[in-house]
Amino acid sequence: MTFFILLLPPVIASILALLVYPYRAFVGWVNAALGLVSLAAALSFAYQAVASGTLTASTIQNAPTFGVVIDSLGLVDVLRADSLSALLMVCITGVGAMTLFLSPGLWHDQHYTQAQLRQYQIFFNLFLASMLLAVSANNVGLMWVAVEATTIFSAFIIPLKLSKTSIEASWKYILICSVGIALAFTGTVLSYFDFVTLSGRAENALNWTVLLQTAPQLHPEVIRIAFIFLLIGYGTKAGIAPMHTWLPDAHSESPAPLSAAMSGVLLAVALYAILRWKIVVDAALGSSYTNNLLLGLGTLSIIIASFSMVLSKNYKRLLAYSSIEHTGLTCIGLALGPLGIFAALLHMLNHSIAKSMLFLLTGRILHHYNTTEISKISGLLKAMPLTAGLFATGILAIIGLPPFGIFISEFLLLKAGFSNGYAWLMGFILALLAVAFVVLLRVLNKMLYGNPPADISAEEPDRTQGALLFLSVTGLVVLGITLPAPLATLLNQCVVIIAH
Amino acid sequence: MNDYVFSQLSTLGSSIVLIFGILLLWRRSVSAYISSFRWQSIVLTCVLALIAYLGHDPELYLVAGFMFILKALVLPHYLNQMRIRLGVTREIDPYVNNASSLILAGALVLLAYVITRPLMQISSLPTRNGIPLAMGLIFVGLFVILSRKKAVTQIVGFLVLENGVVLLAALATYGIPLIVEIGVFLDVLMGFLVMQVLVYRIQDTFESIDVNQLNQLKH
Repeated sequence: MTFFILLLPPVIASILALLVYPYRAFVGWVNAALGLVSLAAALSFAYQAVASGTLTASTIQNAPTFGVVIDSLGLVDVLRADSLSALLMVCITGVGAMTLFLSPGLWHDQHYTQAQLRQYQIFFNLFLASMLLAVSANNVGLMWVAVEATTIFSAFIIPLKLSKTSIEASWKYILICSVGIALAFTGTVLSYFDFVTLSGRAENALNWTVLLQTAPQLHPEVIRIAFIFLLIGYGTKAGIAPMHTWLPDAHSESPAPLSAAMSGVLLAVALYAILRWKIVVDAALGSSYTNNLLLGLGTLSIIIASFSMVLSKNYKRLLAYSSIEHTGLTCIGLALGPLGIFAALLHMLNHSIAKSMLFLLTGRILHHYNTTEISKISGLLKAMPLTAGLFATGILAIIGLPPFGIFISEFLLLKAGFSNGYAWLMGFILALLAVAFVVLLRVLNKMLYGNPPADISAEEPDRTQGALLFLSVTGLVVLGITLPAPLATLLNQCVVIIAH
Repeated sequence: MNDYVFSQLSTLGSSIVLIFGILLLWRRSVSAYISSFRWQSIVLTCVLALIAYLGHDPELYLVAGFMFILKALVLPHYLNQMRIRLGVTREIDPYVNNASSLILAGALVLLAYVITRPLMQISSLPTRNGIPLAMGLIFVGLFVILSRKKAVTQIVGFLVLENGVVLLAALATYGIPLIVEIGVFLDVLMGFLVMQVLVYRIQDTFESIDVNQLNQLKH
């Protein structure tokens, strides 16, 4: 039942936007309220998971599931919500609700036409629905279908304002991600092949729970090849280097709320898909195989991202590269044993909050200054004091300063690295993080101070809209000062699921 | 005996499917691309139906039906419409010339044989000899996307790659569960529609569909 309350609201929202022609502001408000309904369902799943107490290796299969038995359709236990899914659901619905409330068309802004707003509401909600389906699917084939659907629905709204650059970004995005995702599907087929060869055809064989039970008997050589395909495929979507080339374009050219959702949670959803497979593959091969791959690609992502940040002249691209860097960090954390996994998941949550807030703010800056070039922006503090303050807070959080959550998660992550004997690697990563630190602070300095260009009005529009983002700041500060007990329980349960 | 015939027929079918994929690499006109893809899909439908019949798996008939309608009728129709509306006729100078393309395709198929060796060893299905060919088709599709400049030809490359995955699933497992198969077809159709919309927009704003003009986004 809760699955319906989680998954249906965005679908209803999309249908509502489709039916009301032309677009009216109430559609946006109703849809934002529906986003809150989804959030409530996600929180209820998280609550159920936390209430079930400490997980052990023998109880990780227990979780609320949903399925219908239709002959030959393979829908047994097709949806499932364990602690890991619940964590992602909360991220998606939380960021989703925030972006829906700050979407164009709810407030008095005149940046888009009614047709564009309608198109945006239709596809953005479907995009949210497919992300939610991806994390609640137990069937890994269905998970694949949902991840591919996120690409399709978001590609519709990247070029909301038709411009050469946004069309280019959208084309690269859909082509590269579709190809990547097709490779992930090849990996899924290979694993299914291994399962079928071992225990015959079964309709629920693509269920993650079933795969996990069979995993110890699967053939190592085949699973190794399958994981390479899966990692390249879902890694493309997660923005792991060297498959990241679409990401800076797509994230910088999208409308701000879509950038926020893509950087904030879409990357996490793709990582989640990799993580689900890592659990199965680890059960078959032991964890060192996947860990080494994740460490290698994670480090490469951080290297490429930090140096691209130095060259970046556009503040949205800069933030997009920063997302690649944090994806890399998360990958490394996932490869560092229980403490590292704990840190990586906490980092994922922190990054969702911080990055979605930053991208939403870039939308406000872009509409006010009409440029994404860093060199043309100055005097933000005078022209838009509220946005400037929030933007500075966000940047300080993302570079890992206390008292914000990312400081804690990066600290734990590095600690896990040092205690696992990766001292050199951690030192190297620390140096790369310092590069990003300097670049982001320099850019912040350039944008905040000085006098705004003469044609920029000194009056900040839509203050109430900006004020909503204080919620994100609160979240970051709370996670930086303390780790709430239910969250700690949830994360520990996830650690048990991943590294039991 | 029956298994032997089954094995021979499925390998023959897979080879023809692969050849239609490689054909893309030495044809230059866009209409030849589309007809290669159409014929490939028709042969692939036959292979699916063959596996359904000889492998006693009625579900695959359904997949074959979807396959035929979507990839042999609907998508080629839209592709032709796109070709006429855009007025593109030839894939002029791809990044890699024809001769090298063909040699590379050969190398890719060899690579596929190397990669799929462990699969061949553990499988006991009569269709297993086609597995490397399907994997080869996936690589060839990937190569077409990387080496061609026209947006339309890149789309065909993507669809060919997708055909490779369908073939792989059918040969190696007699088809994945139906619910997933349906989802995959839906995704291909939707993805194609988005690509089509984008191609028209590229045409309108860039007055060309050469993707090497898509180079505005830097730093």
